[in-house]
Amino acid sequence: MLVAWKYRPRNTIIQRLDPRARLIFLACLFASFAVAQIWDIRLLFPLFVLSAVLYLLARIEWQDIRRAWIFFLIFIVVIVGVNALLSGRGGPMSVLHDTSPVLIQTPTLTIAKWNIRITITTMRVFFALTQMMRMFTMAILALPIPYTIDPSVYGVSFRRMGLPDKASFTMDLAFRFIPTLGRDFSITVDAQRARGYEMESLSGGIFSRLRRLAPLIVPVTMQAILTGEEVIDAMDLRAFGVRPRTWLRELHYERRDYLFIGLGVAILVISIILRSMGVGAFWAPDWIYHLTGK
Amino acid sequence: MNGKLWEFKTRQVVYGAIGAALYGVLSWLTNVVPLPAAGNITFRPAVAVMIFFGVAFGPWVGFIAGLVGNILGDAISGFGFWWHWDIGNGIMGLIPGLAMLMIQDYRKLKDISIAVGFGIVGILVGMLFASVMEKLTGGIDWATAIGGYWVPASIGNTIVTVILLPILMVAYQAVVSRRGR
Repeated sequence: MLVAWKYRPRNTIIQRLDPRARLIFLACLFASFAVAQIWDIRLLFPLFVLSAVLYLLARIEWQDIRRAWIFFLIFIVVIVGVNALLSGRGGPMSVLHDTSPVLIQTPTLTIAKWNIRITITTMRVFFALTQMMRMFTMAILALPIPYTIDPSVYGVSFRRMGLPDKASFTMDLAFRFIPTLGRDFSITVDAQRARGYEMESLSGGIFSRLRRLAPLIVPVTMQAILTGEEVIDAMDLRAFGVRPRTWLRELHYERRDYLFIGLGVAILVISIILRSMGVGAFWAPDWIYHLTGK
Repeated sequence: MNGKLWEFKTRQVVYGAIGAALYGVLSWLTNVVPLPAAGNITFRPAVAVMIFFGVAFGPWVGFIAGLVGNILGDAISGFGFWWHWDIGNGIMGLIPGLAMLMIQDYRKLKDISIAVGFGIVGILVGMLFASVMEKLTGGIDWATAIGGYWVPASIGNTIVTVILLPILMVAYQAVVSRRGR
């Protein structure tokens, strides 16, 4: 039922790049979104196209990545649906103080003492669109990473980017444990279902619902801790942390890696410059103000 | 209990990584299957697991589990990178880690109460950090930062912790005695 994030060796341009170059590029683009806060759809669109081209160059088999995309699509519907359309949260100020025409206005609904009045304006629809493009761009950049970077090079990649041995190994193990724990969780769900646990019919108040998640969360957590003991023993036996480590794989930058990093850094620098000049904040075309609401 | 509070050796490396991976995977799952919430309060059961890692393995493990776990969870969800929420989550795991040496028996009411208490302080401080940074960077006003982010995030995380942390601690006692360390 879950996503396996399965790595396969593929002879593609993307996988010939140094993993460090790819991680640095990813960090630069994420920083353009998160730190420089680019919200202008006219700037987001070229980044989306670039990310989509890189995604296609990675040539990940659809059957491998399909489930990850399905999960992402459900997630984006929830986030964009709930946050962007209903409350305008997670967005810039202009969305919260919005004077655009109203498209849909429901009467005030009272659900369990909460008064909910849903107002959907043209601005919110446009904001939802912008947010979707942002999230799609970030997802299309991040999702291929586990499919296209050999799990055995995470540690050395972080080490050669300047992190200390222990921090690199922490990152390495965290990346490697995600698929394992995802699989453990899926096995636990099946095992509990076989015992009559019904995930779908979770009735009752929020407290009893949360308590009923314990049969899923507790076994996965405790199994992970026991596995951790074995990993600690194995690492201690190999004298981990006693002296600086050597790594099995050596990484070497080539010209294409420098070009790729340069592209990422250039995007970040341009984003920061544009933002400091006041360009790149949330933008909506004028015509959305002139639409007549229903 | 063996080990000093701020030690960073093999044990902390491994449990930091496992805590981060668990927090990432469980946050990702509950992002996709949101629990019904009142208003804009969201419940992330994964928070209880992350705080438990702090309580059981100390402040470094809690901090790494929160920080790295939140980065990984957001990345695999396609949610992007939000550094102030990542650090806020790190604080949320670090503060309960300070209680590690005070916990003798994971089944005793007193010890469980200490853990839950530190967990709640961690939630309040960590989420306050993230909300204040959201105000300073995101251009929202104080009312939104406090009423729209801090209060709902703190309430949701506190409820999850009060319910699930004691269950995790009781279950862990069995692991501790089986391990014999």
